[in-house]
Amino acid sequence: MPDSTTSPEGKKLSCIEMLQLMLEGDATLEQQQNFKAHLDECMPCYKSYNLEVTLKMLIKSKCNGNGAPPELVEKIKTQISQNMPH
Amino acid sequence: MLLLESMEEEIRQNYTEAEKLQVFHDEFMPHINSMYNFAYRLTFDEDDANDLVQDTYLKAFRFIHSFEKGTNAKAWLFRILKNSFINDYRKKSKEPAKVDYQDVETYYNSDDVDRQITPDLRVESLQDMIGDEISNALNSLDVDFRTVIILCDLEGFKYEEMAKILDIPIGTVRSRLHRARNLLKEKLTDYAKQMGYKNT
Ligand SMILES: [Zn+2]
Repeated sequence: MPDSTTSPEGKKLSCIEMLQLMLEGDATLEQQQNFKAHLDECMPCYKSYNLEVTLKMLIKSKCNGNGAPPELVEKIKTQISQNMPH
Repeated sequence: MLLLESMEEEIRQNYTEAEKLQVFHDEFMPHINSMYNFAYRLTFDEDDANDLVQDTYLKAFRFIHSFEKGTNAKAWLFRILKNSFINDYRKKSKEPAKVDYQDVETYYNSDDVDRQITPDLRVESLQDMIGDEISNALNSLDVDFRTVIILCDLEGFKYEEMAKILDIPIGTVRSRLHRARNLLKEKLTDYAKQMGYKNT
């Protein structure tokens, strides 16, 4: 039985592999807990993880734009309704 | 049809005219803001972004019979938009056609590992970037790197969905994203340094 810090092949996961798993959102609950514990004792992982999570959040909040222009939305709707057989 | 083939084994849906309209309004239109933002960040031009989104929606409607109701409309639309961009817009833009990628095998190489594990960029510097820095840094990346960041971090697509949208293997999604993030951090590190100078 592989424990949660090992890959399915039984190989122990490196810091970078664990980080990647966490950032991809593919870590199991147990792997997440283990990683959180690992963060307390591994400064490079802690820094790196925090930075990536912050960056992701900032991209989400700062790069959303102002939405589609209302005229575009109307134009598309009109074109679609004109395409319909009556 | 170049646009839609190979997304899934295409099963033709038999929609009535009313159902087509319903799918279009309920499943396609809700993504229009994300689609516009994507189009704008690909073209950097409002008119081109408008045209690209409009083309995409008209194509989506024309080929609606190959979309299965209730499946991932957003990924389907993004894929059409990205293909339209490559076929119709990228040709006329000045962007270089291909970026020189580092491949999957270099992904775990020690340089990259060191770079990821000990970033120069500090969380505090990032949090000080309250203006357009993040957006500008994203826009400064080559189109293929920009695209994976948009799809993953902004739109929340899974790697598997990104692989389908971009027609590339999942390993390539992973390595491209990894490189894109590093390039973005490099850019933001430059900004952070400039901000630092200003504050002294
Ligand atoms: Zn670690």
